[in-house]
Amino acid sequence: MLPLSLLKSAQGHPMLVELKNGETYNGHLVNCDTWMNIHLREVICTSKDGDRFWRMPECYIRGNTIKYLRVPDEVIDKVQEETKSRSDRKPPGVGRGRGRGREDGPGGRQPKGIGRGLDDGGAKGMGGGRGRGGSGGKAGGSRGAGRGRG
Amino acid sequence: MLHLFARTQKQKKLVHNLSCRGVSHIDFGSLKMSGGPGLESLVDQTISVITNDGRNIVGVLKGFDQATNIILDESHERVYSTKEGVQQLVLGLYIIRGDNISVVGELDEDLDAHLDLSKLRAHPLKPVIH
Repeated sequence: MLPLSLLKSAQGHPMLVELKNGETYNGHLVNCDTWMNIHLREVICTSKDGDRFWRMPECYIRGNTIKYLRVPDEVIDKVQEETKSRSDRKPPGVGRGRGRGREDGPGGRQPKGIGRGLDDGGAKGMGGGRGRGGSGGKAGGSRGAGRGRG
Repeated sequence: MLHLFARTQKQKKLVHNLSCRGVSHIDFGSLKMSGGPGLESLVDQTISVITNDGRNIVGVLKGFDQATNIILDESHERVYSTKEGVQQLVLGLYIIRGDNISVVGELDEDLDAHLDLSKLRAHPLKPVIH
């Protein structure tokens, strides 16, 4: 089981996130991505010493600032169910069948070309997103905390 | 025949290089996984983790990835002190980010069961300094 699949299954659940700087964030997980960037709602932030608290309606945390996440015990059962149902749903050979159909038809090249174009677009989007997500996430995180303090 | 185990050109080159030095067996099955932290053998076993901030967390390894992020189930922290015995804090289900992990070790449960933690005194670990 991958740590990021467990995190994905924890969507909607309450969790505790400790950052490398010692601050902790308690909130409900809205979403997460493959960099462990996370979006929380109904958040209580606690200072490193545990003596100061800030409430914020939502916050976005850049993945690489995280030290650990504490998730409810029941989430691990949920992820096991999800992976099981996923393997049940997808009988082997479905993908291969689709591939052949494309190649056979006279218009086979056309959809192939379109497909490639889409793939390139997606890859480009991701590359761009990485840069943007990085700086945006960081700025958002610190801005959020600053507002809370003020 | 050593070279039979080598599949790619790179592996064959490596085999040739090593067989000249007297190496007789290479497991490419495990070499292939060299991108990850090689924790497969510890899954579903109790492990002890030392984090960069000097904490010791014990739990059952449920999963890991290439970045050594790990899932620990039924985990607890062991807090060491010179004044009193070891305190155990229940943590539950944890995802520890790989960045924050210093050491992952297999826990010998038989040996661990014979420890009297309440009598054990030790200095807490200092955090890693980068």
